[in-house]
Amino acid sequence: MIKEGKFYKILRYLFLFGACIFVIIPIVPLIYMAFKTGAEYSSTNVLTPPKNWFNSYNFLYAIRVGGLGKALINTAVILSISLTLQILFTTMVSYVLHRFDFRGRKLIMTLFTLTMFIPVVTTQTVVFQIIYRMGLVNKMASVIILYSGVGIIGIYIMFNLLDSISKELDQSALIDGASYFTIYRRIILPLLKPACTTLLILNGIGYYNDFYIPNLYLRKDVQTFTVALYKFFGNMSTPFEIVSAAILLGIIPIGLVYIFLQKYIYYGLAGAIKS
Amino acid sequence: MKKTKSSRIIIVLFLLIPVIQLLVFSYIPILSNIYLSFTNYKGVGIPKWIGLKNYERLFTDPQYIMVFKNCLWYMLVAIPQLVFAFVLAIFVNGKFRGLNLFKGVLIIPYLLNGVIVSTIFIIFFNNSGTLNLLLETVGLGQFKQQWLQNLKLVNPSIASISIWRYYGMNFIMFFGALQTIPGDLFEAAAVDGCTKWQEIKYISIPSIRKVLFINILLSVSGSIQVFEIPYIMMNGANGTVTPVIQIQQSAFSENRVGFAAALSILVFVIVVIAVGLQSIFNKKGES
Repeated sequence: MIKEGKFYKILRYLFLFGACIFVIIPIVPLIYMAFKTGAEYSSTNVLTPPKNWFNSYNFLYAIRVGGLGKALINTAVILSISLTLQILFTTMVSYVLHRFDFRGRKLIMTLFTLTMFIPVVTTQTVVFQIIYRMGLVNKMASVIILYSGVGIIGIYIMFNLLDSISKELDQSALIDGASYFTIYRRIILPLLKPACTTLLILNGIGYYNDFYIPNLYLRKDVQTFTVALYKFFGNMSTPFEIVSAAILLGIIPIGLVYIFLQKYIYYGLAGAIKS
Repeated sequence: MKKTKSSRIIIVLFLLIPVIQLLVFSYIPILSNIYLSFTNYKGVGIPKWIGLKNYERLFTDPQYIMVFKNCLWYMLVAIPQLVFAFVLAIFVNGKFRGLNLFKGVLIIPYLLNGVIVSTIFIIFFNNSGTLNLLLETVGLGQFKQQWLQNLKLVNPSIASISIWRYYGMNFIMFFGALQTIPGDLFEAAAVDGCTKWQEIKYISIPSIRKVLFINILLSVSGSIQVFEIPYIMMNGANGTVTPVIQIQQSAFSENRVGFAAALSILVFVIVVIAVGLQSIFNKKGES
């Protein structure tokens, strides 16, 4: 390893500290606000810490009035169904496209690849009409259907792993009389687990944070957490300190996921981007 | 594998639903959008062919030209964003005390959704918000501004939020690329008595070039698709409308689906160019 000079080391720490301050400063007032009383909020400036760090009034208020609990449950339902479907579909598609040679294979692979060129935002004028005619607007099913589609990144992540799973394994199982479905179920699927985890984290964060799709399709009773937060925030009569508390509550799930899965996030992202 | 009846069954069975989804929610919509962009479709009734009128409007009406001009701010801020992410990746690459703590803090913005980021930056840019307060504290009170009300400042202000929000993604990509540099390259350099600065200049920067180009193109295709921050923070007010906000307004509030389709196709073409260049470059790098 190349020796790092003293100057380099100091510069590194200075820069990294600076970067952390850059990240944290905008968030600090939000955290302060969540613990301030209404009177305190209007009489102090944004960078004054709250008097009482145990003031839970804003949090309780946010839970009670904002319907955020219900929205969080909706998000959980949508995420668990759509991610399960998406991951299952991705393994199925990848297994078939990777292990079988058939007419139309190239065409289907190309169709999946070319979706890179079709951003979601450019198709929604028509997709909305389709979902509307299916009678699914304002129903969770709309978002679930759109989220469960197989993406090319998912296929690439699976392919990377499938390349390293020996085809002889499938062959010998086939000779032993196993059906293709058994091979998929008993051999391929268990071995694809790490790739599934990567996809789960990647799209889990993406879908949890998504605003565009749920805001377009879930406009009434059923809301995801992000949309509920938006409605809550857009309602001018909601005091800002309550909104801040609601936001802190919303960060908790993603914060927990992050703390436990930090390693996977870094390597998952790097891996996904490489492929 | 051999073609048998059972293999045919599994191929069809496993591909059926995903391929239908693909056609119904990606290909049919983009193809019908191309058609609709030449019509005056209102969302109901029969679309009437009007030729290039929608596109003419897009390229001549100052209201819509501005919408695309706004994207330029988002492309511009990509420059400091990439530089920052790059320097960060260089410094984080290595082993030192506090590495994981730094990595933990630096990834925070990437994990926050658009509503949260918008709220954070409304507090930040407010007249009595964090930025003005900080300026006053360090004695630069005369530079205090109405960041979100001043029509000249509002777009650069909210565009600069992208630096905070998205540098993490660029950082992870740069960091990933640095990690793939073979270790013996560094060892050989160490034997040759190479300094840290030379290492950065001659090993790190050249090997990151490909990823840098991909990141630039990602920023271009991202800039043209900006939606959340201006929509949530400003609802498109004060001249902050972006193409995607305009698509949504035209299609769902004004029922001008044909016009929205033309706008969508324009965004689509720009993305195709950016992503196309990216994959051409990617292939060239491999061979």
